[in-house]
Amino acid sequence: MELKVNQDNCLGCGVCVVACPVNVSISPEVAGGHGSKTEETIMMVENGVIKLFSEDKCTKCGTCQMFCPTDAIWLE
Amino acid sequence: MVANTKEVIDQDICVTRSSADEKREWSYKDELCVGCGICADICPVDAIELEPIGGIVRTGAEKSKISIDENKCVLCGMCSVGCPADALDLKIDDKSIKEMDSYPKLIKSAEIDDETCVFCKACETACPREAITIARSLPDRSKLVTGEIEIDKETCIDCGICEEMCPADAIIMEHHVPTSVDPTVSADIKVDKDKCVYCLICKKSCPVDAIKAVCRTCSYGDYDLNPEDAEIEGSSFIDEDLCVNCGWCQEICPVDAATVKKAFKGTLTIDQDTCTTCGACVDICPCDVLSFPKPAESGQIVEKVFKDEKYCIYCGACEKVCPVDAIDVERTDVDYTPTKSNSWKNKMESLKS
Repeated sequence: MELKVNQDNCLGCGVCVVACPVNVSISPEVAGGHGSKTEETIMMVENGVIKLFSEDKCTKCGTCQMFCPTDAIWLE
Repeated sequence: MVANTKEVIDQDICVTRSSADEKREWSYKDELCVGCGICADICPVDAIELEPIGGIVRTGAEKSKISIDENKCVLCGMCSVGCPADALDLKIDDKSIKEMDSYPKLIKSAEIDDETCVFCKACETACPREAITIARSLPDRSKLVTGEIEIDKETCIDCGICEEMCPADAIIMEHHVPTSVDPTVSADIKVDKDKCVYCLICKKSCPVDAIKAVCRTCSYGDYDLNPEDAEIEGSSFIDEDLCVNCGWCQEICPVDAATVKKAFKGTLTIDQDTCTTCGACVDICPCDVLSFPKPAESGQIVEKVFKDEKYCIYCGACEKVCPVDAIDVERTDVDYTPTKSNSWKNKMESLKS
């Protein structure tokens, strides 16, 4: 399984960034709704759309996919 | 060397090796797999890998929870012996090694004693694996309360008050709009004697005293009742494939009719500080051990994940799925039937952490 994003669908809401349990453990400020301060997180909203940074850290738990309102991030 | 062949049907997998001497068939049923990864841990040749179970279970992906390299697999059957959910099996010449005394097997069981069972269906409702079916036949209602009721149709004015008042919906009228040919508002009035409980509400509420009714149970008490007529008969069935011996049925049974024996003993620890409440463990747990607690009042701070360890089978699926390593499952005891083979004994002991 691989983590995929479709930037055309992305609203840039950042819910996946906040919901991702791995992101929170890397960069705790995302839990407060802030953007990540480091590229060490799995994904981040950049210029209004989602972008994958450290996708190798993904444990494929499926949390981002459950929260994304527009199917812009998913496991395949 | 005879090559192994692998066959995949939907998410189920089958690996076979046939030679002149014997036929070995390894099978995996994805529907039964709880994603604990014990098979991958116990495999002596590292042929099995646990797939990303969190993503598979939570997104409903059509993908097997484990994968097997048929070229590495030696068809020893160790994984099937360690599997706490009976998702794996090894058959040698069409006979499962679980039926052979020379192989060890986990000592686990779940039973419902039909003699004690009152067929309340609490276990059927509680079972997280939907493995229990309770079939019951209820007594004939009309035999438990008897009496007599009669409506004098000459006196009846078809007002419908009794029909509206009847708590058992036992009075049925055939309402219609009156015409010059038939200037009545109801063609007929009937009492369903199977539904009537002889409570006499109709008799008391009738404005024209058209109903004559008497309750025999009120007059004669329970002497009027044949105890055999009140008996509830039934039977219980546990689907052994689906059952993971979590113990919900045993805990919830009001008459102690269910007995569950678990194969593993241990401890389940959740680091509430590390937990990010993603819910992967809650979704993966086959025994409904984990849940998100609801605060009793607003503003109250509760733990992030609640565990009720008495239902835990210590399979370790939650530990494997947790993205931030906040869960620790320790197995302190593994109960299995004796085996003469030291290598098998060592592998069974390796399930202890």
